[in-house]
Amino acid sequence: MQNKRKTTPRALVLAGVLGILIAALALAACGGVPANVQPTIQAAAQTAQAVAPTVQAAVTNIAPTVQAAAQTAQAQVTQLAPTVQAIATTVAPTVAAVATQAAGGQPSGTLTYASNIDDIVSLDPAIAYEFSGVVTDHNVYEGLVQFIGSDLANLKPALADKWDIKDAGDKWELTFTLRDGAKFSTGNPVTADDVVFSIQRAIALNKSPAFLYIDIAKLTQDSVVAKDPKTVVITMPKDASPQALLTIFTFTLGGIVDSKEAKAHEKDGDFGSGWLLDHSAGTGPYMIDHWTKDVEVLLKANPNASVQPKLAQVLIKHIPESNNQQSQLEKGDVDVAQNLTPEQIGDVTKKPGVTFAKGNSLLLFYVGMNVTVKPLDNEKVREAIRTVIDYDGITKDLLSGNGTKWQTVIPNGLLGANPDAPFQQDIEAAKALLKEAGVEGGFEIELGVPTGAAPGGVAWADLAAKVQSDLDQVGIKANIKQVAQAELLTNYRAQKGQLTMILWGPDFPDPDANVGPWTDYAAKSIAYRNAWDDKDAAAQGRAAALETDPAKRAAAYKTLTDYILHKGPYAVLYQPTQLFALRDNVKGFEWNPMGYADFWTISK
Amino acid sequence: MPRRAALVDSKAARRILGVNFGTFLLRRLIGIVGVLVGVSIITFAISHLVTTDPAVAALGDHATDEQIAQFRAEYGLDKPVLEQYVIYVQNLLRADLGTSIRTRRPVAQDLIQFFPATLELSMAALVIALLIGIPAGIWSAVYRNRLPDHIVRVFALVGGSLPIFWLGLIAVDVFYNDLSLLPAGGRLDDFLQPPQNITGLFVLDSLLTGNMVTLQNSLWHLVLPALVLGYFSTAVIARMMRSSMLEVLHQDYMRTARAKGLREFGVIVGHGFRNAFIPTLTIIGITFGSLLAGAVLTETIFTWPGLGRYATASAISLDFPAVMGVTLLAAFVYLLGNFVVDIAYAWLDPRIRHGS
Repeated sequence: MQNKRKTTPRALVLAGVLGILIAALALAACGGVPANVQPTIQAAAQTAQAVAPTVQAAVTNIAPTVQAAAQTAQAQVTQLAPTVQAIATTVAPTVAAVATQAAGGQPSGTLTYASNIDDIVSLDPAIAYEFSGVVTDHNVYEGLVQFIGSDLANLKPALADKWDIKDAGDKWELTFTLRDGAKFSTGNPVTADDVVFSIQRAIALNKSPAFLYIDIAKLTQDSVVAKDPKTVVITMPKDASPQALLTIFTFTLGGIVDSKEAKAHEKDGDFGSGWLLDHSAGTGPYMIDHWTKDVEVLLKANPNASVQPKLAQVLIKHIPESNNQQSQLEKGDVDVAQNLTPEQIGDVTKKPGVTFAKGNSLLLFYVGMNVTVKPLDNEKVREAIRTVIDYDGITKDLLSGNGTKWQTVIPNGLLGANPDAPFQQDIEAAKALLKEAGVEGGFEIELGVPTGAAPGGVAWADLAAKVQSDLDQVGIKANIKQVAQAELLTNYRAQKGQLTMILWGPDFPDPDANVGPWTDYAAKSIAYRNAWDDKDAAAQGRAAALETDPAKRAAAYKTLTDYILHKGPYAVLYQPTQLFALRDNVKGFEWNPMGYADFWTISK
Repeated sequence: MPRRAALVDSKAARRILGVNFGTFLLRRLIGIVGVLVGVSIITFAISHLVTTDPAVAALGDHATDEQIAQFRAEYGLDKPVLEQYVIYVQNLLRADLGTSIRTRRPVAQDLIQFFPATLELSMAALVIALLIGIPAGIWSAVYRNRLPDHIVRVFALVGGSLPIFWLGLIAVDVFYNDLSLLPAGGRLDDFLQPPQNITGLFVLDSLLTGNMVTLQNSLWHLVLPALVLGYFSTAVIARMMRSSMLEVLHQDYMRTARAKGLREFGVIVGHGFRNAFIPTLTIIGITFGSLLAGAVLTETIFTWPGLGRYATASAISLDFPAVMGVTLLAAFVYLLGNFVVDIAYAWLDPRIRHGS
């Protein structure tokens, strides 16, 4: 990577010629020459890209030799006459770079993805629940069903090409028929036993994501049965939502693991999780080559996958500092930078060769109002607070467009999302509401907020200051109390907050992942933290969760979210978008709001 | 003078010398153990008296009360703090540093992975600081108040006052972005396999296995972070060397050496340096500690997969077993560095080892 200098046209020609030579050499080693080898640079580049995966294996053996030769050449060249030397110094690094590229050092078919990946705990799909582990595993494992691209409303077949939900009296019965011909990266065929094993091991291991099976879908190890090699039957109790389980299956936890391979690596009853920590045995388009903690994850194309990726490799590079991500993107050393701030994105997209992509998220930023704290117990006061906030000001000025105004409790993108946004700052209306509530002159209240930057690129403190000044318009004096997020949560969980500014993201892409926590006091989540115990809302929420007809379900959520909008203890502020900076030759990058991208659709 | 006495009565003197040097070492070793115990108490107290619950920090917004209770039990947080400390020390004596909350791996395993990178970086920075700092200091003292002295003074002033993160960002901007001379970060180029793991120090491992490609590449990656990290120490060493050299330059024995007709270079290096080096040596021991501390920022800027970044990430997520492990290791290395300096000090200056 070092010594990359401005390349002159002459250098490009030389590099191209050398590239062809090396590609030809490598091809000869494999015993095949494609017909379309033409002595132009473009063709050479295309050829190198096309043959890269095949050539790579053969070439790895000769790589050191080629590299050494390139170095020797460089050394010899420097001894030549001054004029030649000047040219050589410009050319040699490029030549060396091309040599390394063709020799399997960095093939042209690699996506280099810069991200902060120090959160990865394990790449076992039954354990991974952190952002970077999810991004990785999504491209390595397939579930029974899937969402494609950034869509989260239409379930599509994956390992199962058919599924059926049956009301079997006192329980739900879900039947999945597996796709023909599916094979793991290990070469083993996918059978119903693998599905049963994968679900059972996740429940038995009981790591971070396992609550989705155990608590949300209420599965036990006995719930999953292989009826025949192609058919899996799952039974669920009547109070769990089959739709929720289907969306859980789209997530990394639902990734199906090769049971034979996992069992072969089993140690002390760990279901192979020690081995799956940094190896893979899935059916996804990629497989894990290696993971070096806090350094990188390298994914390589899975030859047995039903969908072949456009790029042979994905290098997920750990670059925690956003400044470094920015400069390496500008240089072209990385293709995608995940953690740039909106200001950095603004700067970097002014540079040639760089563009950006927007991704949606399912996060909601909101202010929770503890209804045991006077005068927040009065519905009119809560409505006044919602009425005095300048939502447009937040999204336009503070977020510079990196968020959308959203006021209902199901985020945009999920089934049942309700786009109604009746609130925008109206000082007179808010004053009138306060007067009706008997607190005309306003009151004093504490506003808790976490430290640091919030997703969407705004500092929590700035967001709090904005809300503080809005509230001040009607005499509500909010004293900002800024503490570390964990400390804020400790207070909030214990119902000790007054106004709490925080965010929420659903655990699985189903409306119930929001509606449950936001309405059900007994779930001891958000409704509990704000001491809002509305039995009717909770009952409506539960009924909507169990509805299997999507249209009826959406209608039920519309009614409920409208109700919460005015009765609930929340002022939902906005839904942030996530920004990515990319090289402009990167095509097909689409961020899924659940926190991953399909790397296999990306080309460059 | 004990040394002269040794010539007169070598047996008695050797006994005294041995006892004195032995007690000197013993005192230092006991000191090290004492400091380590103190460090463990202080870090344990700090990490367990913070108002934030590590369980909430680890499990986040969505965790149920049962999950939090289970976590607290798993990490022994449900027990009284004193009992927790006793358990911690008992485990420590069995070389068990506990399990990291964030990485969920044994802390010892994490330290073994990340420490060599930091050690390599700090050692490289120290070597640079010594190679530049000492000659610069001598040069500056010999040409006191003349151009070389002014150059070194400005160089040292800049090094002593620039924040390391700023220097690092500027260095990346200049040497990677603008000049494309050096890599932006990491220990090796993408797709280059690390050398076979023997010590974890890539330069040393490459040498041991004769892997010239990784040797060259790892040195290449080491240049910029080591220069940035070592700049402050270089400045301190240069200034220290200058002032002690100035003191020595006018001593009688220097004049005597000159009077004997020795060349000026020989006088300065042979007679001046050895005497002037002793105070600088003390500074080097202390500097080593600041190198470890500075590595936190340098590692973040240069994406260097070392202990500094591990420590930062652990502290942010309230991962107290990891924070304790890092603190103890850093304290131990710091003490070890100073212990080595103490020995070198005694070796250079007989008055110290003789306790006179």
